[in-house]
Amino acid sequence: MNLIKKALNSKKMVTVVWVIGLIILWEIGAAIVAQTKRSPENVLPHLYQILESVFSTNKVNSTQTALQIVLSNAGITLLRAGIGFLIGTAIGFILALLMNMFLTVEKTVFPYLMIVQMIPILGMAPIVLAITKDINKSRIVIAAILTFYPVATNTLAGFKAVEKEKHELMYSIAATKYQIYSKLLIPSCMPYFFTGLKISAPMAITASILVDTLQGGGGLGTMLSQSLKHAMSIYVFWQIVFFSAIIGILSYYLMMVIEKILSPYKRKGPKVKAEVNADEKTA
Amino acid sequence: MAVSNLAAKDEAEIDKEDRDLSMEKDFDIEIKIKDLCISFPDKEGGAPITALQNINLDIRQGEFISLLGPSGCGKTTLLRTIADLQQPTSGGISVRGQSPREIRLQKKYGIVFQNPVLYDWRSVRRNVCMPMEMMGIPKKERTARVTKMLELVGLMEFGKKYPHQLSGGMQQRVGIARALAIKPEILLMDEPFSALDEFTKEKLHEDLLRIWKKTNKTILFVTHNIQEAVFLSDRVVVLSPHPGRVSAVVDITLERPRSLEIKNTQEFNELVVKVRKSFESL
Amino acid sequence: MKKLRSKFNRQTITTILYPVLFGVLIAVLWQTQLLHKIIGADTFTLPLPKRIFGIITDNWSNILINVRATVIVALGGLVLGSLFGYLLAIVATVFPKWGSGGLTIASAFNAIPIIAIAPILNNLTKDFSKDPNIRSMFAKMLVVMITCTVSMSINSYRGFTELKPFSLDLMESYAAKKTAIFFKLRVPNSIPYVFTALRISVPACVISALVSEYFAEYVIGVGRQIRENIVLAQYATAWAYIAIACGIGIVMYVILLIVEGVLLKGRR
Repeated sequence: MNLIKKALNSKKMVTVVWVIGLIILWEIGAAIVAQTKRSPENVLPHLYQILESVFSTNKVNSTQTALQIVLSNAGITLLRAGIGFLIGTAIGFILALLMNMFLTVEKTVFPYLMIVQMIPILGMAPIVLAITKDINKSRIVIAAILTFYPVATNTLAGFKAVEKEKHELMYSIAATKYQIYSKLLIPSCMPYFFTGLKISAPMAITASILVDTLQGGGGLGTMLSQSLKHAMSIYVFWQIVFFSAIIGILSYYLMMVIEKILSPYKRKGPKVKAEVNADEKTA
Repeated sequence: MAVSNLAAKDEAEIDKEDRDLSMEKDFDIEIKIKDLCISFPDKEGGAPITALQNINLDIRQGEFISLLGPSGCGKTTLLRTIADLQQPTSGGISVRGQSPREIRLQKKYGIVFQNPVLYDWRSVRRNVCMPMEMMGIPKKERTARVTKMLELVGLMEFGKKYPHQLSGGMQQRVGIARALAIKPEILLMDEPFSALDEFTKEKLHEDLLRIWKKTNKTILFVTHNIQEAVFLSDRVVVLSPHPGRVSAVVDITLERPRSLEIKNTQEFNELVVKVRKSFESL
Repeated sequence: MKKLRSKFNRQTITTILYPVLFGVLIAVLWQTQLLHKIIGADTFTLPLPKRIFGIITDNWSNILINVRATVIVALGGLVLGSLFGYLLAIVATVFPKWGSGGLTIASAFNAIPIIAIAPILNNLTKDFSKDPNIRSMFAKMLVVMITCTVSMSINSYRGFTELKPFSLDLMESYAAKKTAIFFKLRVPNSIPYVFTALRISVPACVISALVSEYFAEYVIGVGRQIRENIVLAQYATAWAYIAIACGIGIVMYVILLIVEGVLLKGRR
């Protein structure tokens, strides 16, 4: 009896119950929609219908099943999102470094960083496409712009958050500038840097999908808009919705995993209970 | 603890003789502060605020000296100026005949702050190791020295732990080990124990005296705790605020080695009263 | 006089001067077409600032109609989403065990590309009204609302629960009722967190309003105009709307900062 109670009270259980709750909510919605709308699959299909379409072997166009379409197009979109993300990360980090090193750079660039935050970059996607004239390039550019901003600001905040005393300690042993950066500033800004990455990773993917919708030529977004225009099964659309949601969440967790690997100190170990124990051992 | 105390006793006696001899010689003055004045510009654009006024003080090699005073008396400023973290407005400091900057560049200072400022991404061992990496000390020696330092501060078993796994007192021990690891000539301590509870503090007092005896460093210890200053020091420099100046220098004649029991003696209490009186007379 | 001079010292001057100089440099590069050479564009896709400015003044009345549509969607969604998010946070605070778990799930929604939900909502609201303008506005507002709900609920939940140490104990020592604790302690404590959320959701509401317009049924709004004009290869007009979109984003953020400055005065 107690065991069941314990399991029910655990944190994982809460999450599971929530997920189940959301599924039920979705299904109730789908049932209502099925009663009231003419083509319910366009509004809110049952989850099992979507799942069925994932495993169905019916071809939705001349050669591919729905799942094959989604996966083959996902490759194009995600690769470009990934490249843009990496470029944006590099630019953001270097910019933060330069801003921290040179006051002039910080004063010049920082106000613009603030403004970039207020500008709807995604709204500029069509024009980027017009300038680059290449859907692949514009995916990369947009993903990079969206990535660089959170990375730059968060990393800079990380540099600034280093306590004065840590700087003074470095100063007192006459550390060189290179040593201060490699031993103090860069390691201590890592949590902030990863906060930036966690914000921008899902954003890079969103951006990449959005850029897809602007022009044909493959990618998740292209398929999404085609499916909405009923050029192919609507279930391709639903699969893409779930797929992009899952990828977005996974990209967030991927950043978290990388952070854990790179910074082992955050791993929770057994905490030393009392000072007294330690002192007894030294006696 | 008892065993190590006994062993340390002989060493201490030898050390004491050394110190007694050295006191007579003038060239053993380690730090010479002459007419030191420091003032900060006022934030609202008014007249500059004088933090320290005409400080004159000689500190001998191997001496344990406390800078004692209420907040705002400039004791930390004085320590920071010696450490070259702050520049004098007028007057000067010479350390072994050199400027504080030269001494800092030779990496002869060890600093311990109130906050242990450990690097949370480094294990205890690697925290102690950090300044040595910067000095280009070969890895083999680094490892040996870290082991020795951890032994000295009694943290042998905690080398692989990360700072957040340690108690406040243990973190401060790591800070001390790190400061000592580079074999500094002068140990500068800025209220290192003020954030710790009384029990931990007393333990660390005894440990600090033991370490001092073993290493024979000159220690400058900033504190606002009278008992702490009297218990630890050879001399207590009493500073008074607005502007910061030396109002008294009290010789602590208590015999060494000192243990916590000494706090129950009349001599100790008289010295505490004497130091306190030097505040009241302001 | 002395005070004035100390305020405008060298530091302050460079803080203003450097970014202004940088902006002027870019503008000059742009107008002299050097910028085009650097990024490899032509004056057709990247028109000169003067021309863009000219289009804005010429089409002002037309632009205003689209701005109105976008701002209504953005603000409506922001208000609805923030209120709903705050409400969710209150519910989560009342039922902490289930609430915090629910908010963990909600934070996962943050990672879902908003693009995906825009078309669904279009379909969902088809029967809402006979007027395509109204029903598509409703759909767009829902998209914006969802993006704003998440950040508000997570942040204000933190505002309700991350209290200063012992402040709760102090309340208990007065034998305060739960409602009293809520209104006297939790709500005031949550205000700075609400602004943290708004700093995220104000720019986000503009972006999602623009993007949801791309997929909307009814052709109106700044975002849609950007897209439509590019499809028609009227790049100068598209740029004019981009400039307007940036303007909306900046103005809304500045208003937020001013409101925050007034409301959170003396608090830190």
